[in-house]
Amino acid sequence: MSSRLAAKLAALWRLGFAEATAYRASVLVWVLATSLPLISLVLWRSIAEAGPIGDYDQGGFDSYFIAAFLVRQLSASWVVWDLDRQIRTGELSALLMRPVHPVLHHAVFNLSALPLRTLLAAPVGLAVLLATRGIVVADTALLLGLAIPAIMLAWALNFVTQLAIGCLAFWLTKAAALYDVWLGAYIVLAGYLVPTSLFPAGLAAVARVLPFHAALGFPVELLVGRLSVAEALAGLGLQLGWLALLGPIAAFAWRRGLRAYGAFGA
Amino acid sequence: MPERPAIALERLGKRFRVHEREPGLRATLRALVRREWVEVEAVRELSFTIAAGERVGFLGPNGAGKTTTLKLLAGLLHPSTGKAEVLGFEPAARRPEFLRRIALVMGQKRQLSWDLPALDSFELNRVIFEIPKPDYTRRLAQMIEMLELGAVVGKPVRTLSLGERMKCELVVALLHGPEVLFLDEPTIGMDVSMQLAIREFIRDYHRERGATLVLTSHYMDDVAALCDRILVIDEGQLRFDGSIAELVRRIRPLRRVAIRLDRSLDPGARIELEALGDLGVSEAPRLVLDVAPARVPDAVARLLALPGARDLEVHDAPLEEVMRELFARRGPGEGE
Repeated sequence: MSSRLAAKLAALWRLGFAEATAYRASVLVWVLATSLPLISLVLWRSIAEAGPIGDYDQGGFDSYFIAAFLVRQLSASWVVWDLDRQIRTGELSALLMRPVHPVLHHAVFNLSALPLRTLLAAPVGLAVLLATRGIVVADTALLLGLAIPAIMLAWALNFVTQLAIGCLAFWLTKAAALYDVWLGAYIVLAGYLVPTSLFPAGLAAVARVLPFHAALGFPVELLVGRLSVAEALAGLGLQLGWLALLGPIAAFAWRRGLRAYGAFGA
Repeated sequence: MPERPAIALERLGKRFRVHEREPGLRATLRALVRREWVEVEAVRELSFTIAAGERVGFLGPNGAGKTTTLKLLAGLLHPSTGKAEVLGFEPAARRPEFLRRIALVMGQKRQLSWDLPALDSFELNRVIFEIPKPDYTRRLAQMIEMLELGAVVGKPVRTLSLGERMKCELVVALLHGPEVLFLDEPTIGMDVSMQLAIREFIRDYHRERGATLVLTSHYMDDVAALCDRILVIDEGQLRFDGSIAELVRRIRPLRRVAIRLDRSLDPGARIELEALGDLGVSEAPRLVLDVAPARVPDAVARLLALPGARDLEVHDAPLEEVMRELFARRGPGEGE
């Protein structure tokens, strides 16, 4: 990476971080809005009081959902809403006039808000940690190390999916509404409410190869030590595969979208 | 060999597909099932060139295609037909080398981060436009002084007045020293003194850098003060290309001869003057006569012969009247 590009990324990062700080109240609302795994945690641990469900006992649920909350914060993206608004109102024009790719701008702004988001989520997570038996994580450095790229790829998957759907705003009035459909499937199939390994066998097999699981359930299971090294590598491969499929779709939608862009209201 | 123009358009055209429906519930329900699309030709086969350093104003009624043309030249829109070239680049390709040499200022849109001080956005532009630090420091200090922004740039942008914000928008657009500056309604909604300050600033920038200016504005004064060449665009087509004086003579070919009088005209003199041209005001102490250019000498001689005549003036029709006439051919309020 050239030093010029690095300087530009750093400058975008600083501005993004400053913006996130200015919007800290709404960031906190986002954190609370994505605390669904903690509600699942309370539900499942009370169901598991009588005995383990599948291969999850109470402690297993505690670990899984605390990790799910954490991964959700670290992999969060909101580019679909930003893009939808910027395209509809013509705000995108300002980004298009800068010699930095608008997608890169969004990616860096997104990432620059994650530290603050994690910081604001920390007290919530800590309270849950103290109220439960805490989290048990993978016991080898290798598995923990693999969790890092898994979480990064989970973020990339969320970002690219949102980018592709957000680009539909070049043609549709409300593309963000379409993302709600994706989000509905994500909540059910990603392992957000229920670990996918507890699904009925046939459904589990399907759900575990879909991008939803790759964007949440997989890094969570890896983090709490439910996967072998071979399974972890297969999961990373699956994440890369989905990225290789969704990335070009998003790039295509962006390029075609710019041709259709009306820069209205601008 | 003539110098390559800064801007060249060749049969440039832009069509939009917009959907259209009647107001009301029934039409809304029908639009759910079947949308009706209408093709709008915002710009049609526009061809012209602009030399480096020229100051050009786009004039025309609302919805005439001025802003669309500006956006095509800045690279925000892809042309439907024909081609445009700015500084040798195809604008819509938006290459970084191109974007570093131009700027677009939109009176109704902002580049600045809303909840942060303008200085933060300036600093971002310093890095992404690769402005050398000494240049940045010097230009910023100079612009802050000229625009009296010292107390303003450290406050969150959302707390600034419209005029202060627009000044900051100009700074952020000019920090990298663009060679071509596109301005879309830069003084919209501002009071007169703010308009003057902004015009003055833009003129200085042009004088200092020799930049090419392309401007759209509804304020005639903006155009008169900033542009020495006018392009009238209407219904997406070029209707006029020349100086303001030529435009005035084209639309209102009559010259205006004005004089002060002690007392009102007698009927005989009135008939004589009405034969020469259009008699506007004719009550003492003022008389105004619009005449064809060839008849100016006759009119002047006749008017000066009136008893007590003094302070004779001959000039073109006022620009505002010309513009009213130019815009009156289309209804107001159509967006573009």
